[in-house]
Amino acid sequence: MDVTSILDAQKAKQQNVTVEKETPLEIDAGHLMVSDLNPIDEESYNENLEEHLRALARDGTQALLAALFSLPTSKSADGPLAQLPPRTYQLPRQKALPKPKPPTKWERFAAAKGISHVKRDKKEWDEERQEWVNRWGKDGKNRRVEEQWLTEVKRNADPDHNPQLAARHERKERIAKNEKQHLANLARASGSSASGPSSRKAELEKSIATTRASTASMGKFDRKLDGEKKLRGVKRKFDPAERSVVDEQKSALKLIGSMDSDARKMRKAPRENEEGSVNARKAIRFASKGKGAASMAGGETRGKSSFAKGKKGGRR
Amino acid sequence: MRPLTEEESKAVFTKLANYIGKNLVHLIDRPDEPYCFRLQKDRVYYVSESSMRLGISVARPNLVSLGTCFGKFSKSGKFKLHITALDYLAQYAKFKVWIKPNGEMPFLYGNHIVKAHLGRITEDTPEHQGVVVFSMSDIPLGFGVTARSTVDTRKLDPTAIIVFHQADVGEYLRDEETLF
Repeated sequence: MDVTSILDAQKAKQQNVTVEKETPLEIDAGHLMVSDLNPIDEESYNENLEEHLRALARDGTQALLAALFSLPTSKSADGPLAQLPPRTYQLPRQKALPKPKPPTKWERFAAAKGISHVKRDKKEWDEERQEWVNRWGKDGKNRRVEEQWLTEVKRNADPDHNPQLAARHERKERIAKNEKQHLANLARASGSSASGPSSRKAELEKSIATTRASTASMGKFDRKLDGEKKLRGVKRKFDPAERSVVDEQKSALKLIGSMDSDARKMRKAPRENEEGSVNARKAIRFASKGKGAASMAGGETRGKSSFAKGKKGGRR
Repeated sequence: MRPLTEEESKAVFTKLANYIGKNLVHLIDRPDEPYCFRLQKDRVYYVSESSMRLGISVARPNLVSLGTCFGKFSKSGKFKLHITALDYLAQYAKFKVWIKPNGEMPFLYGNHIVKAHLGRITEDTPEHQGVVVFSMSDIPLGFGVTARSTVDTRKLDPTAIIVFHQADVGEYLRDEETLF
């Protein structure tokens, strides 16, 4: 009996578990990734694309699974788990590289002048204490003068002169100046024109307009300079009267909605007690007939009891 | 004639909301016909769209009035409600005050409402709340602002003011020339 044909048919059904290619497949088990570096077989590609792709995918998956089964395993409640090796393929970065910080004014100046600047350490060696201390901040050395128990004062110094206080003021001024410069740097970096030349120009124009209208005749009888333009106010702009009413309704409803939310934010609920909320200030004014709490101290008036009530309510 | 700017609308709406609260939405979003607010000179008019469109073709100096005058803007930009708005305020009023027949005439002459003339008042009316004043036969007479909350009114003597007068229908005669 010849069984070779049956065996061949069986073999054709079950493809080989070992994948052999001209260039071996690159397997990165950590990423569960296989890359096939072989050139594409043009013949089978053109003949049947689907078949070709399926075959490629099958080979890759087979290789990956074979690689996974050769990995060391650990036992778990759900069966053996393969220990994935570390990843080898370098995935590209997900996000763009961070932009370099815009240079500060000083950094730009230093670059222009060719000044090489070494950033100072925060710590400084203290000879007296024989340890590293902060230049500034907690126990900073910049407060040395302020903390000294004895300070030399110049002969012609003011009798009220307080060297500790003066040093403190100086330090605080330095901090304020630095903060101002820091904010200016931030503003420059964000590219806002708040302190730019255009705003300066607008400011100047505004002050010129103000001064021109600040004479007794509101600038009417002043001598005109050559090329001086006539002052013009801001022209008001209104919506057209024939705009769609439905549009208008929408914006009005929106406005009402926003007003509601504003009111909710701003209004505080009156504090409640048993007799209803009492406005202590108003109760005093009412009970003393507008003379204030002091006038109520001695007087035996009808309002006394209500005052006491109000006070109690206010404290609660 | 022009639509209100945002600040103007805000001023008008806050004033109206003091009297009719959330019902303000019903003034703007009407089922029958679209209505809108228009400013002519310093007056605010509540006009239906159709008459507003007719009014567009009238030159500004020639246009005396259109729709219902709700009030006017003062020179300092504050909005003051006129008695002509009473119809809408009475319709949607949240808080109401009814006055006795003997209190009607004093109120219609522009006086505040004292406790002796107070017939009925909506429960839980807070202090300084805009209220619409009705006669005992439910005829709207005007509007005002409460001086005291409903709870506080009980303790007061009969001559104490309960509602500060804002506008009354007597103004139709007294301020006839400036009202509309």
